[in-house]
Amino acid sequence: MAKETPEQKTTNQILIEQLMLNVGKISAIIEKQGQSIFGHKNLLSNNEINDYSLEFLELLTMLLQAGARVDRRGAEYKALRQFFANFSQQIQVRGGDMDEFVRYIHFLQSTFLENLEADKSVSFEKSREILMLLGTIFNDIILEVFHIYLETKEKTIQAQQEELKQTSTPITEIWEGVLTLPIIGSLDSSRTMIVMEKLLSRIESDRARVVVIDVTGVMAIDSQVSHHLIQMIRATGLMGATAILTGIRPEIARALTSLNIDLSSVTTRSKLSEGLKEAFRQLSIEVSRPGK
Amino acid sequence: MIEGIHLTPIGDGNVLLEPGEGLDPSNPESMVAPVLEFLQRHEARRLVYDLKSIRLIDEVYYSWLTKLYATCRIANVEMVTVNMQPAAAYALSLTLSQSPPFSCALDIHSLK
Repeated sequence: MAKETPEQKTTNQILIEQLMLNVGKISAIIEKQGQSIFGHKNLLSNNEINDYSLEFLELLTMLLQAGARVDRRGAEYKALRQFFANFSQQIQVRGGDMDEFVRYIHFLQSTFLENLEADKSVSFEKSREILMLLGTIFNDIILEVFHIYLETKEKTIQAQQEELKQTSTPITEIWEGVLTLPIIGSLDSSRTMIVMEKLLSRIESDRARVVVIDVTGVMAIDSQVSHHLIQMIRATGLMGATAILTGIRPEIARALTSLNIDLSSVTTRSKLSEGLKEAFRQLSIEVSRPGK
Repeated sequence: MIEGIHLTPIGDGNVLLEPGEGLDPSNPESMVAPVLEFLQRHEARRLVYDLKSIRLIDEVYYSWLTKLYATCRIANVEMVTVNMQPAAAYALSLTLSQSPPFSCALDIHSLK
């Protein structure tokens, strides 16, 4: 059987041959570059980098062997994408940046191209096809990795926001029948819903009779926020508990006045400590120093 | 016997009202007079309306409560709701523009 000339070979065959012939050299270059990108920040150990490099070459060979055209729905392509998805997630989890990962992928691409340049038997036409094939594969991978990166970031931000919502309004039973609710930050509709739900459930479970709502940590107030506050106080009253509002800053008091918000029906005190005294007074609780 | 309502004198001039399945809040006229008659017969000073079984207080139900309150007031009987559920309190607070005219207490034990 006559030997195939480079022109008779498909783009995939040429690439596979290049990989097979130069696997040692290519993997050594990839490992070295991987160590310089990921190793200096201890993102990956040398063993991990070596394993990833070999796995990548293996998966790429499988993809090229699967058919003349890259099938995006094929198992080989999915495996390569999954490999990069896992790889990028690991880098991200260990505090790596997207830049490092993109640099690594670009480097992989250029390693193949340099290798191709050294092979004088491959025509310009075939080189162009190989370049396009590699460009398609690697661009898709970069897009996929970027998509995963954004998704992971978004999930992290959402989880942090949720955690912040939960922890920024700790409802504490400061005394039997007395709850304190310090509000820090801004109150919007979604947060008010969470706070109100938590507060009303606590009033029911703790049989609370007085709730001291402290707004010292609220920096700004608008008509919507004050409306939410009044709703919260009203719901507390409907449950049969009394709400005391404390810590209204002068600038907030001024804003409430200019917004024509009437707090005359709400018990207010300047400080949390004053609010607690009022709560104890309402429950006929006396707190005194020993010996007095 | 008033349909959908169970009334029990619980001492000290208090009468407990427990709403049942058959209560129709959209027709308060048919219920307020018999309730008032019961309260006067038992020389009640306070009507304790137990909301434990009420999951949602909508405008119709709230209207029934305010009508009952207005009737009690004419007869010099205080009306207090107890055991309002968190979800009901939350939903009602969203629709109210002012505090309800009747008193609200946590439960019967917290009544003075």
